[in-house]
Amino acid sequence: MIEVSGLTKRYGTFTAVRDLSFTVQPGEVLGLVGPNGAGKTSTLRSLAGIIPANAGRIHIGGVDLAADPVGAKHQLAFFPDEPRLFDYLTVRQHLNFVARIYGVADHATLAQPLLEELEIADKADQLPGELSRGMKQKLAIACGLLHGPRVMFFDEPLTGLDPLGIRRMKDSILSRARAGAAIVLSSHLLHLLEEVCSHVLILKKGEKIAHGTLAEISAQFAQGETGVSLEEIFIRATGGSEN
Amino acid sequence: MLGALLYLRLTSLKNIALSRLRRLKQPKYFLGAVAGIAYIYFIFSRQLSGGSTALAGLPAGLPGGLAPTFDFNATLSVFGALVLLGIVLFTWALPKEKPGLPFSEAEVAFLFPAPISRRRLIHFRLLGAQLRILFSAVIFTLLSRGWSFLGGDALTHVLGWWLILTTVNLHLTGAALTINRHIDNGANPAVRRWLILAGVALLLLVSTLSIANAAPPFPEGNIGPADFFSWLARCLDTGLLHGLLIPGKLVIAPFLAANYAEFFRTIGPAALILIGHYFWVARQETSFEEASIAYAEKRAARLARLRDGTYRLGQDKAKARREPFRLRVPGRVEVAFLWKNLLGTLPYFHARVWLGCALLTCVAVPWIVRGEHQKTGANIIITFTALFSAYTLLLGPQLARQDLRSDLPHADILKTYPLAGWQIILGEILTPIAILTGLLWLNLLALVLALAPMADKITWLTPGFRLTAGLCLAGVIPVLFALQLLIPNAAALLFPAWFQATRQRSGGIDVMGQRLIFVFGQLLVILLSLFPAVLGAALVIFASQWLIGASAAVVLGTLVALTILGVEVACGLWWLGERFEKFDLATELRP
Repeated sequence: MIEVSGLTKRYGTFTAVRDLSFTVQPGEVLGLVGPNGAGKTSTLRSLAGIIPANAGRIHIGGVDLAADPVGAKHQLAFFPDEPRLFDYLTVRQHLNFVARIYGVADHATLAQPLLEELEIADKADQLPGELSRGMKQKLAIACGLLHGPRVMFFDEPLTGLDPLGIRRMKDSILSRARAGAAIVLSSHLLHLLEEVCSHVLILKKGEKIAHGTLAEISAQFAQGETGVSLEEIFIRATGGSEN
Repeated sequence: MLGALLYLRLTSLKNIALSRLRRLKQPKYFLGAVAGIAYIYFIFSRQLSGGSTALAGLPAGLPGGLAPTFDFNATLSVFGALVLLGIVLFTWALPKEKPGLPFSEAEVAFLFPAPISRRRLIHFRLLGAQLRILFSAVIFTLLSRGWSFLGGDALTHVLGWWLILTTVNLHLTGAALTINRHIDNGANPAVRRWLILAGVALLLLVSTLSIANAAPPFPEGNIGPADFFSWLARCLDTGLLHGLLIPGKLVIAPFLAANYAEFFRTIGPAALILIGHYFWVARQETSFEEASIAYAEKRAARLARLRDGTYRLGQDKAKARREPFRLRVPGRVEVAFLWKNLLGTLPYFHARVWLGCALLTCVAVPWIVRGEHQKTGANIIITFTALFSAYTLLLGPQLARQDLRSDLPHADILKTYPLAGWQIILGEILTPIAILTGLLWLNLLALVLALAPMADKITWLTPGFRLTAGLCLAGVIPVLFALQLLIPNAAALLFPAWFQATRQRSGGIDVMGQRLIFVFGQLLVILLSLFPAVLGAALVIFASQWLIGASAAVVLGTLVALTILGVEVACGLWWLGERFEKFDLATELRP
């Protein structure tokens, strides 16, 4: 579903992501982790076609993102850490706008259950300025889910959510994965990886340190010890510093 | 107290100056500063040397178009007093709630908990405003030095401006405190406002009736703008309004004084009004803190939006409103951007409002240009429409920014849409095209209707030709705006760091210079782009009018111009779309 080979992203002379390759199959949730400045957001933005990669190939559902960006983007949704909404569009108008962009003909029938699932149906005629941070996040998610994407990218999905919101977000990610979506998310929160991710990719200074299931990663860095926490594994994998 | 205020102001000024100097190390600010300084030198050196006042062939420095008998000061005195009266009425009628005094958030945080009395806080505010007023008085004097027909000199003008601005500032403060006191004493803010609005309406009605009864007759013959404005001033200075305008005229009089003798004669009454205002403000012991805190918070939010370039006039608090049209799904995606961006503009940009304005124009213009004064009415409308068209064409694309320039903060979201770059660019520029085209179409309608009386002297200006030429121009206008709007949007994509600096409305000569560079760049590119279309159309009209007649030649020329402009717009959209697709916002939007 998501195939990445040799992805490289440079900003001038600084290389944010170097020769990164991995695949994510339908139903899998890949967690991108790493210290600050590891290249997680650059990777996600490159995968979503927001910023151009300097080298490498990205295939979304079999479509080459560089050769056919429009075809690839039809299949994906990107959820930034901060919900970016249009100040003058109400909740319902946001969905109407996104429906037109993605050509979702039956958007009215799709939008209502989505709004109800995300518990913002009663806010349908309100502007973003009248919504709480969590509500805005839910609206951004509703916009992303409206066209039924098969590939989803979440950048720090739990930022700014209350405990109930965190629980709902985790459930939402898992239910989309169970429905066959391929999901990549970046997060600093290790418990999110344990509860949600089927696979983990550890980045440091733009390079892949480790990639595999949680069990495989644990085995790789536990060095034969038992009961080593995920936090300890992360520290061992990344060397305990940003550098 | 005064020492603390001076320290705060002077230290802030010093730090602002230092930070502005430091940023000149960046080429974008350095080039902007060079352009800004050159502009200021050009404008002010001419003003100070009196260059612009020496209009050829005019006695006593009168500006172009004004007859030597025209009493400019008397007319200006009436209009100036009218502006002051308007400010006073708005000051009292506008507040929906308790108006705050303009303290900043930092001033609220430091001064409100400090052991300072309310009266001292008010004086702090008044003194704080003086620095800005003095600076404004000097700038206004420099700008108005070109009006040598006013008489007086730099000193009388600076003092005149200072008197006007200080009196207005004192009135605003006094009104705010008085309204606060009324509301604290139990007055319902809504009832208070409606009472004042009803009073203003009554005032307008009585003034209109008294003007209708006692207005001087309209000048005979073929009059110019000076006669018209002089007549208008005399009309306004009649009946009830005459009495209401007296305080404003007294405040303005020192600024308009022709010499020192007149200045000293007029300064007394103006100073009395100012001193009266001061005692009115200084004697008030009213709670203003709560409203001032709310004001400071609003002001901080507005400044934040100004800094990030998302501020829009009159839209401090967004309100959900009716959709400009029904957005059907599926459909062309570009229309979705038009729909979205129209929702972000003022509610007046709606088809029904445009249609209403068009109907009003169709009724009002023929009415104005009818009867014995038809030429005067037509001249005024033609002059106005010509000026408005020129300004709209020149500045419209800079001011109507409901396109990619407003949406750059959302660039990451836009780039995830499954759309080609040119579709996003086209969709984004549709809203300013629609708004500017609507404005110019209305203008064109007024012009075509106002040209009717000219047909007596200009034989070829037949109704058929006017209609044909009007329709041809109407067809060219949206394509012309599309071409013009591509340029600032291209600038935003090609020089995003520069563009980000210019959209932040922070001050400074360097930022002003950057804006000037953008405006002149746009002018240059648009002139180059227009050249082939204008040349092609002119050649076709010149060559074909002998064979097929003027109207048909204009149609043919328009088609040639539209084809050339259309190709240019299509090429521009394609190229800009490619640029947007390759736009690396992680790199480009770094300041």
